[in-house]
Amino acid sequence: MDSLSLHSNLHSVNNKRRQITHQNSFALTPSWTSLTEQRLYSSKLLHSLRRNSNPTAALEVRASADRVLAATAKGRTRWSRAILSNPICRWKQRHHKKVKKYSANKFMKKTTPEIRRSLPAVQKKARVLGKLIPGCRKVSFPKLLEEAGDYISALEMQVRAMKALADLLATGAPPPAPIGLS
Amino acid sequence: MSSRRSRSRQSGASAEITDAQITDLVSKLQQLIPELRARRSDKVSAAKVLQETCNYIKNLHREVDDLSDRLSELLANTDSNSAQAAIIRSLLM
Repeated sequence: MDSLSLHSNLHSVNNKRRQITHQNSFALTPSWTSLTEQRLYSSKLLHSLRRNSNPTAALEVRASADRVLAATAKGRTRWSRAILSNPICRWKQRHHKKVKKYSANKFMKKTTPEIRRSLPAVQKKARVLGKLIPGCRKVSFPKLLEEAGDYISALEMQVRAMKALADLLATGAPPPAPIGLS
Repeated sequence: MSSRRSRSRQSGASAEITDAQITDLVSKLQQLIPELRARRSDKVSAAKVLQETCNYIKNLHREVDDLSDRLSELLANTDSNSAQAAIIRSLLM
């Protein structure tokens, strides 16, 4: 009886460990489609915006939206950690051309062999993609694909949440049922 | 010319990823892009998937920029904190 219980516990631990591994290895897409994540994001974003001074500039709204999005991701992905460590990195990229050029060259040198070996035709497009996703200029091609998948799902949730928030603010009064958010 | 197969960033096994695994990742990415989801053929090239992925991310970025502008205007017009508090309450319901 005692040995049976021990075996059962061991099985449970193994299951739990395998589940964690599974969760880590696969894309985190499912959570971005849940209403709970969207509500959580909307609430955090509105709190963040209220703390800002009146009037809130559009750029500050954008920075808050991205920072809250990264916080909602809980640092599980490279792009979210990049945003949290440098919230305005996107705008920096746009205005500092020298930095951009240097990074591009650096990217080319480090990752060319792997990309060329695997999929030579997509080298240029992979570089463009790496610039669009925060923190992904210098990652390997497989890692870039994984980050892209999660980033797209997160952006889609962000758009849904911000649209719902704007509609609420525009009407001035919240709808009777929270189902209107979906 | 030989490049390092395992990098300090990568932890665990240093086995090189195979072409099949990359194909699988590209296929998963393809499912996320509306432009490519409409096509039911498996013959979309990896370059096409990456191109449409870049376009889609740019579109999403533009949408977030537009929504940021809109929210900024709406917040400026919302004078009282009570309206925002009501909205927060409804969000937390």
